[in-house]
Amino acid sequence: MKNSRIITLVTIAVWTAVLSGWHLYDPSGGFTQFVPGADKRPPGSERKADDVMIGEFFMKYDATLSGESSESWLGFRGADRTNIVRHSVPLKLTEGEFKELWSVETGEGHAAPAVWKGRAYVLDYNEQLSSDALRCFDLKTGEELWRRWYRVPMKRNHGFSRTIPAISEDGRVVTIGPEGHVMCCNGDTGELVWTMDLKKRFSTEVPFWYAGQCPLIMGDELILAPAGTDTLMVGLDVATGGVRWATPNDCKLKMSHSSVMPMTLGSKSTLVYAGIGGVCGVSADGANKGKMLWFCNQWQPSVIAPSPLQLNSNQIFLVAGYGAGGGLLQVDQFGGVWQAKITDQYKADKGISSEQQTPILYKGNIITILPKDGGGMRERVSIYQPGNLHRAVWNSANDERFGLGPYIVIDDRLFALKEDGQLFVYEINDDSMKLLRKQNVIIDGADAWGPMAYADGMLLLRDAKTVKCFKIND
Amino acid sequence: MWQIDPEKCLQCGRCQTECVLSVSAVKCFHANQVCGYCDLCGGYYRANVKELNTAAENMMCPTGAITRLFVEEPYFEYTIDESLCNGCGKCVKGCSSFGNGSLFLQIQQELCLNCNECKISKVCVSGAIQRVPVRQGYKLKDHA
Repeated sequence: MKNSRIITLVTIAVWTAVLSGWHLYDPSGGFTQFVPGADKRPPGSERKADDVMIGEFFMKYDATLSGESSESWLGFRGADRTNIVRHSVPLKLTEGEFKELWSVETGEGHAAPAVWKGRAYVLDYNEQLSSDALRCFDLKTGEELWRRWYRVPMKRNHGFSRTIPAISEDGRVVTIGPEGHVMCCNGDTGELVWTMDLKKRFSTEVPFWYAGQCPLIMGDELILAPAGTDTLMVGLDVATGGVRWATPNDCKLKMSHSSVMPMTLGSKSTLVYAGIGGVCGVSADGANKGKMLWFCNQWQPSVIAPSPLQLNSNQIFLVAGYGAGGGLLQVDQFGGVWQAKITDQYKADKGISSEQQTPILYKGNIITILPKDGGGMRERVSIYQPGNLHRAVWNSANDERFGLGPYIVIDDRLFALKEDGQLFVYEINDDSMKLLRKQNVIIDGADAWGPMAYADGMLLLRDAKTVKCFKIND
Repeated sequence: MWQIDPEKCLQCGRCQTECVLSVSAVKCFHANQVCGYCDLCGGYYRANVKELNTAAENMMCPTGAITRLFVEEPYFEYTIDESLCNGCGKCVKGCSSFGNGSLFLQIQQELCLNCNECKISKVCVSGAIQRVPVRQGYKLKDHA
């Protein structure tokens, strides 16, 4: 009996000790907490997601420039924005397949290269670091020379990167990031020159699918169309970023994916911009530089990616995708007053159209790739004459369909890139084309939508994740 | 003995899983002389973090082996705690893809059992793990 009582008391004591210990023991006592502030960063200097410091990071690599090129490709559609390359002696294409000189992996996107004196520039997006990155490569070797980047977190939406840098003759490289961050760098050293946030400065509303506007440099002036609350277009000193002139946004246009196109209408140098809400012309020279000359609200697609294409001294071809189709804008001056009106407008299956790329006016004809809603000829290369926008004079073959792929004219030849990475080369005749060759330049390519660039016999092209350079001449 | 050539390493992750030790003898080394002391470090932060601070959810390292200390604006000094490192190489991949490549994997010789047939070397996809003389036990980036 006595032993039984002792056993009971011992048992109770043991269990009491165990339960007490269980309750009192802190299993997380050896844990290390990872909480903000462990790096002793000074209070108040913490970074938030939207604390964008444009151009804050820089990396210079060991590679050195192998040599300057004689030709450059200074921005969207080249220096004159025609997307046409002309040589006094036409380029002699390589016998056999074009040789790949280099290939570089990029973040997912469609930003295409520009070239200046042997350097190729791409405004990439690095998902790992959530950063826009201006990357400078050696044109001949593909070796990366430097990169300058800044953190700007955003969500993937058909990739990230979009636009092509613009480069001044003296080598200032200007970029517009997907969220409207403008950065100017020294094209040689990568030194940061100046920056501007379009959303903060002009209250720009960046469109769905991000900013697609490619900057325009004319001489020493940078032209942007922020299409903000109060300011439609600005001319900046490309050396300093200082505003020289600003066009009030009286017509309340919003930013589209289209770019400002320089044109001479009548005898007037004009900057034409197709925004969301209409298309306008702004004086590019003279005493009234920066003044809006005309505006037309008859062109109102909800999404505009291609840029306006000048057909002659008073006609502009307008085009947009997603069912919008095309239109012909006539601009005239009567007694000092400018008038702009749409004289023809139609759906995509009723005439020449384009969803993403800007058509090319070459030798009096318009070359385009028809959009996916372009009827039976959809996604084919087509030639139209400006006098009849409703009937093609030539279409590529049934199996030569390019999706949203880019195209460029080099010495009477059209280089068209299928969006899966097949490059087609056509000989351009008066009203037709002849297929010369085709080559799969990006194996298993996808979404090759970024425009191509050319310099010194080298063709630069890209798909969603790779930029490549091919030698196309002997 | 065996060692990893950082120039060949692809950071495939097999060093973490194939070593005969329960916690791999492969560790991340850090070359301070190569490091850019960046605030926005691809080896320290995982992708698409919302805020650049030391909260656990922002860390690339799954074991918390990398710590950093503020030096001066905008520089930070990074340190690896080898006792926590499992050799997964995630930080190395992040650093090399967008940084100076100051983080790299090495076999910690004090932990290595010096198996005659290193199990990791058999599966290394890039042939980065090689036999080296004892006097060249490490392939460091901040030493000539």
